[in-house]
Amino acid sequence: MDETPRTDLAPPTAARPRGPLFVWANAVVLGWLAVAVVLSAAHQVLGLPGWVALHALLLGAVTNAILIWSEHFVVTLCRAPAPLARRVAAGLTALNLFVVTVLAGVTTNVSVMTGAGAAGICVIAAVHTVFLVRTYRKALQRRFGHLICFYASASVALLAGAVTGAALGTGAATPIWYSRLWGAHVHLTLLGWVGFAVLGTLFTLWPTTLGIRIADGTASLARRALPVLAVGLVLTVGGILAASRWLTLAGLVCYAAGVGVAMIPLVRALGTRRPRGPAAWMLAAAIGWLGVAVLIEGVRLLLAGSIDALPDVVGAVVPVFVLGFTVQVLVGALTQLLPVVLGRGPAEHKSLSASLARGWQVRILLTNLAVPLVAGDWPRPLPQIGWAFGALGVGTFAVLALRAAIPVALRGAATTVQAPDRPSPSSGTTTGIAAGLAVVVLAVALAATGTAEAPSTPVSGAAHTVEVTMSAMRLRPSTVDIPPGTRLVLRVTNQDSMPHDLRADSGQRTPRLRQGETALLDLGEIQGDHQAWCDVAGHRAAGMTMTIRTSPAAADTGRDHRAGHDPGTGAGLDLGATPSPGWTPHDARLAPPAGTLHRVELHVTEQDVEVAPGVRERRWTFGRTAPGPALHGRVGDRFEITLVNDATMGHGIDFHAGALAPDQPMRTIGPGERLVYRFTAHRAGAWLYHCSTMPMSQHIANGMYGAVVIDPPGLPAVDHEYLLVSSQLYLGGPDSDQHVAKIHTGRPDGWVFNGMAAQYDHAPLTARSGRRVRIWLVNAGPGDATAFHVVGAQFDTLYKEGTWLLRPGDPGGAQVLDLAPAQGGFVELSFPEPGHYPFVDHDMRHAENGAHGRFTVTEPPQ
Amino acid sequence: MIDIWTIVRFLHVLGAIIWVGGQLTITVVVLPPVRRLLGLAERTEVLRTVGKRFALITAALFLPTQITTGVLLAWRNGVTWAALAEPGYGRVLAAKLILFTLVMAAATVHGIAQAKHRPAAARAASITALVGSLGVILLATGLVER
Repeated sequence: MDETPRTDLAPPTAARPRGPLFVWANAVVLGWLAVAVVLSAAHQVLGLPGWVALHALLLGAVTNAILIWSEHFVVTLCRAPAPLARRVAAGLTALNLFVVTVLAGVTTNVSVMTGAGAAGICVIAAVHTVFLVRTYRKALQRRFGHLICFYASASVALLAGAVTGAALGTGAATPIWYSRLWGAHVHLTLLGWVGFAVLGTLFTLWPTTLGIRIADGTASLARRALPVLAVGLVLTVGGILAASRWLTLAGLVCYAAGVGVAMIPLVRALGTRRPRGPAAWMLAAAIGWLGVAVLIEGVRLLLAGSIDALPDVVGAVVPVFVLGFTVQVLVGALTQLLPVVLGRGPAEHKSLSASLARGWQVRILLTNLAVPLVAGDWPRPLPQIGWAFGALGVGTFAVLALRAAIPVALRGAATTVQAPDRPSPSSGTTTGIAAGLAVVVLAVALAATGTAEAPSTPVSGAAHTVEVTMSAMRLRPSTVDIPPGTRLVLRVTNQDSMPHDLRADSGQRTPRLRQGETALLDLGEIQGDHQAWCDVAGHRAAGMTMTIRTSPAAADTGRDHRAGHDPGTGAGLDLGATPSPGWTPHDARLAPPAGTLHRVELHVTEQDVEVAPGVRERRWTFGRTAPGPALHGRVGDRFEITLVNDATMGHGIDFHAGALAPDQPMRTIGPGERLVYRFTAHRAGAWLYHCSTMPMSQHIANGMYGAVVIDPPGLPAVDHEYLLVSSQLYLGGPDSDQHVAKIHTGRPDGWVFNGMAAQYDHAPLTARSGRRVRIWLVNAGPGDATAFHVVGAQFDTLYKEGTWLLRPGDPGGAQVLDLAPAQGGFVELSFPEPGHYPFVDHDMRHAENGAHGRFTVTEPPQ
Repeated sequence: MIDIWTIVRFLHVLGAIIWVGGQLTITVVVLPPVRRLLGLAERTEVLRTVGKRFALITAALFLPTQITTGVLLAWRNGVTWAALAEPGYGRVLAAKLILFTLVMAAATVHGIAQAKHRPAAARAASITALVGSLGVILLATGLVER
């Protein structure tokens, strides 16, 4: 080694090293960096996935930079023969064409383009590996041989990363393999391609930025670190592919150990000289974030207890890898290296260095403040503020560097870089900005804690809501048929461990949803056909798409407003969907009569009620539920009902269980008014009560109904007594014209027991085998008849409209209790053995569209 | 509708405009040419005079106006101590008040450091105050509903 304290990355000759090609290649790197910054800020506006910005950065800027600089270092430091400039130019041009092809392929969802671009990148990676290995053999200066080994390992990782990336981007990966390949792809590219290349370079670059000699022993430590790192990467990737958490953890620990070994010479160098200037600080911060990212990933994976948490964990640490480590290393390295490339002679180097260093304290501050902001699970504006800080920090560098590089690339001469007016930035500025930003961020964080709104924002106005689930790389339903002009709202729930989002071709999108998260996507009024898909790269290609079809036919078939779904469930509502969080079924148990005077205050309210699994709709209700509360008494009992109208329009009430002149008690009362309705129950039966305000069809269809049960004298007690009120279900806002038209023409969206489709499929009624069960039924309508049947059981008692049609001990049995609108009655049965007995409205169109439930019958206690 | 509360709100916003706008104007518009064109002695004299005048206006007019109008507006909007802890409006307002207090503290530090001839500390404090003031404005913007 000569006596100069600095390591020669380029001979300090008057001529620029490596000629104009090298300048242009670096200008391309800076160009990609600028594109990535612009895309990260504007991709939402442009309607592009965030994936594009990330890959413009990693595949565009970082991959170009690693390729050109690794080749440069190998040639310069190992005194190896340089490849022909033409070949290098052709290789770099091809690389950039392939990168553009991949970006375009994923954006336009053309798998062939994605595949071709990824294949091209594989070829480039393979050629680069071969070049490095051959260079190693020809190298004159073996002292830097470890550098070649690091770069060769890195390009092997790139090759593997490109293969996995191609499988993801083209949709070739099956749902089970998708998340494993994704995890492998992320680690191969970030820990392998970027990590190896950066760590290898640092052995040389770090002393250079500090302005000291490379310490003895660095090479031997480097040679020891590489196998540890490589084994760590192989174990990590192998663990992810094999879905083994412990193998993955072992890999991460091993990789972290490798980083630790590689750090030894770098930390020792700090003993010689403290870092000064932008490059050293940025590299130090970047390595710090690499360690933090590996640590966070390992700890979170350990705590998560399952490999299924990997996508979530990786999703959280990727911003740290990308912004904290990769971007910062790139900017730091270019700050150090660009002056060497662009300047001729020490004077130009110095002025270029000064211009690239402008405001570096603030830029470092912004970038490193941004990392925790974008990576943490903070409430809204904070991550956005973080991204803005990051874009500002990196974007400013891109602008500074491009301003220096473009003139050199175009004219071959650096513009005379004016020395700043004041050689040192005014002292105190950085501290002031740092302190100011810190208190502002803290204050905004405090302000953003908690949410003022209810967790689920109700959709205002009339809308048709369709439940959409994401699981196993599919959107369910995959097709939604609606009449034109329907306002469509999708309630999207992600059930996958992979994050997903949903984006419509009209531009609306949900935020990225993690497992179990739900978001509403209001698509507005739908006129033509639309497509929607998951915007995570490759998911669309893998089949996460959905078609929204409008056809006037949908309005005429009597099954309009229906969501298409999997073959199998075959009906208009998604009855298998999960009810909303916090849902409780309407209690079907009929409480025994209490006393002989029944005083009840019934408030009319407008209420959001679960009408089908996961579908909540505005209803007009008696006593906040639809059906309203059940009244249970005996013949001769007195009922005093105070009706209070807490709603916004006129309502009334009509009790079929009482006989009186309707004029006064059944009058419509306005909002805020009360009326008292008194009657004596002279006759037994299952009676309907309902709103008496015109149009009654609309008031009943919107939920204003309930039942009065008057026991016949001498009715024996039974083991279980249930009350089911059947009705038709009309979706859509309570008073939209479309809704009223559907009611008038009798085209319901479903049929229900006790106000919600299939609710007792989700919360079955219980009974014990051999014990008597009585089921009271009232048909609230407004229009259709019902035919109650229990699958696998027979009725030995049938009481319909005031008389027994069948009594226990009669030789015959009954299979159905049929009720016209407003009729009522009860059946009794005992289940022969334990099991699951469905109960249905045996008009199968009704049963398949919601009038369906289940008894869970168990052994009676001994 | 223009009523007494419009006037109160007007005074509150006007105070903020003058204070934050004044800081921005001094930092961005006045200081660079002053530094370039004036000699050291004149520069110090000018900046000292400007600083003293700004401090006087702050203490005598700005602070009393902001606090009075702010308290009135909070009372008018039914803000209670408990409401300040609630997510949404309350917490944004609380964060704004805390940030405002910190900004005032930074401005005071600026004045003290200037008097003790410690330019670096003074500059750091003044920039902290400026950035913080912009944060106050950001939070205030978040308080305007819809």
